[in-house]
Amino acid sequence: MQYLIQLLISGLAIGAIYGLIAMAFAVIYKSTGLVNFAQGEMTMIVAYVAWTISTTISGNIFVVAFGAIVAAVLLGLVIERVVMRPMLGEPVFSTVMVTIGLAVILRSSINFIWDAYPHALDLGVGRDVVRVGSIGVRTGQIAVITTLLLLLVGIWAFFRYSKFGVAMRAVAADDRTALLMGISAPRVHGFAWAASSAIAGIAGVFFALSYDLSPVMFQLGLKAFPATILGGLDAVLGSGLGGLLIGITENLAGGYVGSGMKEVAGFLMIIVVLMIRPFGIFGERDIERV
Amino acid sequence: MINRFAAALLLATASHAGAVGTAAAEPGITETEILIGDVEPLTGPPALLGVAASIGHKIAIAEANAAGGINGRKIRYVLEDDGYVTARTIQGARKIVDVDKVFAMVGLSGSGQSIAAMPVLEKAGIPTVIDVAPVKPLWEPPRKNVFIVGQSYEEGIKHLVAFLADKNPGKKWGLITQDDDYGIAVHDGFDSMVKPKKLSVVYSGSYKKGQQDFSSEMLQLKDAGVEVFLAGGIIAENVAMMKELEKLNVKPVTGIFWPGRIEPVLKLIGPAGDGIYAVDYVEPFAGEAGKAFLEKAKALVSEAEFKGINRYTMAGYAAAKVLIAAIGRCGKDPTWACTIAELEKTSNVETGVMAPISFGSGVRFSNQKLKIMQADFSTLSFKPVD
Repeated sequence: MQYLIQLLISGLAIGAIYGLIAMAFAVIYKSTGLVNFAQGEMTMIVAYVAWTISTTISGNIFVVAFGAIVAAVLLGLVIERVVMRPMLGEPVFSTVMVTIGLAVILRSSINFIWDAYPHALDLGVGRDVVRVGSIGVRTGQIAVITTLLLLLVGIWAFFRYSKFGVAMRAVAADDRTALLMGISAPRVHGFAWAASSAIAGIAGVFFALSYDLSPVMFQLGLKAFPATILGGLDAVLGSGLGGLLIGITENLAGGYVGSGMKEVAGFLMIIVVLMIRPFGIFGERDIERV
Repeated sequence: MINRFAAALLLATASHAGAVGTAAAEPGITETEILIGDVEPLTGPPALLGVAASIGHKIAIAEANAAGGINGRKIRYVLEDDGYVTARTIQGARKIVDVDKVFAMVGLSGSGQSIAAMPVLEKAGIPTVIDVAPVKPLWEPPRKNVFIVGQSYEEGIKHLVAFLADKNPGKKWGLITQDDDYGIAVHDGFDSMVKPKKLSVVYSGSYKKGQQDFSSEMLQLKDAGVEVFLAGGIIAENVAMMKELEKLNVKPVTGIFWPGRIEPVLKLIGPAGDGIYAVDYVEPFAGEAGKAFLEKAKALVSEAEFKGINRYTMAGYAAAKVLIAAIGRCGKDPTWACTIAELEKTSNVETGVMAPISFGSGVRFSNQKLKIMQADFSTLSFKPVD
């Protein structure tokens, strides 16, 4: 039983990181209809910025958290304004290719700006192990699960009750009608990129706290993307939950079947789910009227 | 009269051609310099080894140039980045041989990349010394112009397993390897020791390259009761595994291989890394030889390059030194044939960073002597134990 509980806890912890990045994917998709293939790289860049702040300015957790979020928001806004806005109205394929190009540039920038060595993001917190019987969990892992749950509630409330959240939903549903209603689509897009970058950045910082920084961190994006598909590309909350499901499934498969199945399990689950619900567990059925 | 004039003209032309011929007989050689080429991963995560190896080459070249170069000719290093992408390694090797027209090659990226570039180098016939990733297909069958400094992963793991088995008789063993050619070599080496050392293997797993979460693997390891663990990761993977074991409150006797024997790794693992065993054929920086090498390097490379030094720098330094010495022995007019012959004659060449290097007639692999080291967290270093 303890074996199962340990697998579930570890699965939830890594799943929460996938979930945050998956939510970042969904925020952009929901607002712009675009899949951002540079999401994993943006996660990594923000984590490296947080590490730079911690080693050069201050290792205080609040300073690092504030600095990382500001850097993430700026990164998102700059990418939207400089790279993505000129692509407005262009074919989706071209826009997606731009995000792939962006991913390669961001990935390579790690070596140019930082180095290829792994680094520890040491903020004096997050690395302690809490033990209940023989089950161990790091405080950083508890924090990331809690953060995901809080963000799920916060984002639900934002889309449900805030004016800007409703405006974002309107742009996602029908950007032309939203424009006629006085909603600025570029402003909504800019906000979506900034919010997405911040959410992914939070995931990156939590990942670095528990697992260290390394130039292969961008691969988190590849692990989180199936979570978005599973939850529903247009379902921000569903994507977060999808991350938890993928994390738990991976760990159970790795723990009971074998490490080889760990990589495959999440994708197997997606295939099965998509065969039943092609729009994801929480995604909306896209109805086109002829 | 006309015939005499024509003969004189022919003689003059021939003698002129002969005069310049000494400098232009082989590519990569002028009156003042000799070009040595290299292709390494300088970007992406494997830059950790590529950049470090290239720094080793630079140190050997700077040292030789400071001493007057090779028989008066300064050495110029031509370096290409392959990003650890095999197609780019081949492209880079072709560019260096055909466009830059270097005299010799050194280094050459990862194991898969160097194997893929072999046809280009073999066809060109250029003297080549490989140091980054020594794997059997590079020297079996031996290629006339390709020499390898180092030791095979299989021999490395055999040496480590033999040491750990003798030290921990009757214990339960666990092994995890990467799902690539490196992992296969490590696994094969381990398998060959299971019977002779009567090992009780209770866990054997593999992971996908780039994996960062090892929670289920380490839990399986704990559940199987592993007491001696061979962590077959490279850098970040070994750190993640050791941290996971710390979280699970288990501390098996752990062994790692030289690709992961890099001092910053100890800082990342933290106290859980204290006492980890490692196998390698280059000297640890904590020893006298390591300290002397660092002292030498400080004067020859920039501050940024000095920070990038790791074990691959020592391996690169040794290989470049052997190559430079062989070219030097060919005198004022080195040729490929002479350099290859002199490389073959390399016998007990001291580099100060590993055991003396030797090749031989038909022998293209230096088969370096292995050492077992142990991590000391308090000094963040590896110290020899055998």
